[in-house]
Amino acid sequence: MIKCPNCGVELDDNVNFCSLCGEPLLAKNEDNLAYLKKRKSEQDDKMMSDYQRLTGFQKRKIAWQISWIILLTGMVISLIIDLADNQRISWSIYPLTVSVVIFINITVILRLYRKLVLLLFLSFLSTASLLIALDIFAGRTGWGMRLGIPLLLAAYLTVYLLIFAIRKSRQKGLNIIAYIIMAAGVMSVCTDGIISVYKGGALNFGWGLIVLASTVGISVLLFYIQFRLKKVTDLKRFFHI
Amino acid sequence: MPKKNTRTIPVTNKFWLTLDNAAKIFPAVINDELTSVFRLSAVLKHPVRIGALQKAVLKVEERYPYFRVQLKEGFFWYYLEHLPVHIPVEPDIGRYCKRFERGSLLLRFLARDNILSAEFSHILTDGSGAFEFFKTTLIHYISECEMEVPPEYLLKDPADMVHEEEYEDAYKRYFRQDIPPMIKRSKAFHIPFRLKTPPRYSRLCMIFPLDHMKQIATEKGVSITVYLASVYLYTLQRIYEDMNHSGRPRNHKKLRIQIPVDLRNILPSKTMRNFSLFVMPEIDLRLGHYSFEEIIKVVYHQVQLETDEKLINKNISRNVGSEKKLVVRGIPLFLKSMILRATFYSLGTSQYSGVITNLGKIAMPGKTGRMIDYFVFTPPPPNKMLKINCGIIGFGNKLVLSFGNVSTSGIFEQNFLQFLKQQSASLEVETFN
Repeated sequence: MIKCPNCGVELDDNVNFCSLCGEPLLAKNEDNLAYLKKRKSEQDDKMMSDYQRLTGFQKRKIAWQISWIILLTGMVISLIIDLADNQRISWSIYPLTVSVVIFINITVILRLYRKLVLLLFLSFLSTASLLIALDIFAGRTGWGMRLGIPLLLAAYLTVYLLIFAIRKSRQKGLNIIAYIIMAAGVMSVCTDGIISVYKGGALNFGWGLIVLASTVGISVLLFYIQFRLKKVTDLKRFFHI
Repeated sequence: MPKKNTRTIPVTNKFWLTLDNAAKIFPAVINDELTSVFRLSAVLKHPVRIGALQKAVLKVEERYPYFRVQLKEGFFWYYLEHLPVHIPVEPDIGRYCKRFERGSLLLRFLARDNILSAEFSHILTDGSGAFEFFKTTLIHYISECEMEVPPEYLLKDPADMVHEEEYEDAYKRYFRQDIPPMIKRSKAFHIPFRLKTPPRYSRLCMIFPLDHMKQIATEKGVSITVYLASVYLYTLQRIYEDMNHSGRPRNHKKLRIQIPVDLRNILPSKTMRNFSLFVMPEIDLRLGHYSFEEIIKVVYHQVQLETDEKLINKNISRNVGSEKKLVVRGIPLFLKSMILRATFYSLGTSQYSGVITNLGKIAMPGKTGRMIDYFVFTPPPPNKMLKINCGIIGFGNKLVLSFGNVSTSGIFEQNFLQFLKQQSASLEVETFN
């Protein structure tokens, strides 16, 4: 009988490791510890490429650098072509503005991925400014304020609620799909309402409600499958009173 | 007399149980500090043989299928659901009485050097039920170490012999509808010590020679439980008297001590789940200082009175009766938990000042007994109102008291020991953590 040096229990004679705490038994085999370490580091080396060895922060920095190089290249090329063609900035204003907004969004996402509310707020602000800028470039018809921003706001709020619901749900299966379908339904109602106000000046829901009703129906079915059929909790057990 | 329950356990994956009456409060109040987990330890004469322990646990867990359950939330109540995993055997290195995570079993085995322990959630069972299980495991552990098992502890096929009576809610069996309600008690005094910063729970154990302690108690004409409960009350009184006058509570001058009683000794039942109640002897400090002799007299007579079968029945009926009301049953679980949490302190803990649990003197079959030096019963962490509690267990000639404490002060334990020494100067004691 030998004793584990770590937890002090007795082990069978022919073991190399403690079966309780996993400590290698050095008295039994002096190479154990060195061998273990070597094998583990070898395995790690084999498993991981250079990219996998980077920390999360380094990975995000690389993603950020690659995206600004691509965006900047696109911006410079379109600017040169535009200038060569027209001797002034004409159509290239669109790719330039859009690229700047995309760049802002990527920065915000990579930097603030933990702070969801702030991330969505800054992203919303930048995209809303883009809509207004596009409206101005296209001759100030006013659609940006009256149609674009309400739709954008509705979309952001829906996405926020969707992410919140997904994070809160303990099981992740068909119920996630149900949430996404329901979000699409809610978004349809919002779109329907906002367009009706923009076009006719009054709030009318038509097709949006039909879409919502059908998405709710499908979602209920998916929830049922997820929570009742997949997990065999019988109702008697769950509702015993 | 209630009818004998002879149905057997359905051994399927869909096996589930409702919580027993005493367990219903625990899921609502459990947190990282107040874990409702207690520990039974056997200090062996030799280091634990881990291979033998693992084999013994695998054998014994088959015999007690109703302990392999996890806690689940229903719509109206929590319930226990069969969880087909093995009971874990872990190295004993972390904190005592750590909480059981969601989705895990409600018991674990721990081993270190020559100490073999098991921890149980109070949701599952009480001290006596747990000890029966622990004892069976010990006997089979010894048998794995190449010794024979006494015939009454041989395990048969569980499907043949696990009767429903073993895992039924025995409180319900002895419930009677036609019993008058209980009178509410006034609030009791609580130790004024400051709480430690988490993790709070610490333990102090004292080992006394059992024969000497028995002799001291017999001289006073009482049992060890009554004697030590009286010392507990006397120590509480001293802490109250040592407080300066302005600091003393004005209204809460009753000292009450909760002594759990194993109901299996009074009402016949084979249940392995919770089946205990408590008696609460009290002294009223508004009437002045009590001498130790007076306290012993009060405790002795109150314990005699309150362990009367009729009074026990009354208490069971009160507890089970409130659980059976349709109004209570129909409240959704999250509301019920909120109400239980709120009433746990206001109606429960506020009524008593301390708890002392005696598991009694343990008998073990010969060979197993010879491998064991002594047992330790570590009580569940006391709540922040109570701050201190005490667990007692005796084996051979060793009586082990272990004090659970969540406060920054060790004065209570000091005073307790000092008083015992005053009573008998020759009393030997060994303390450890």
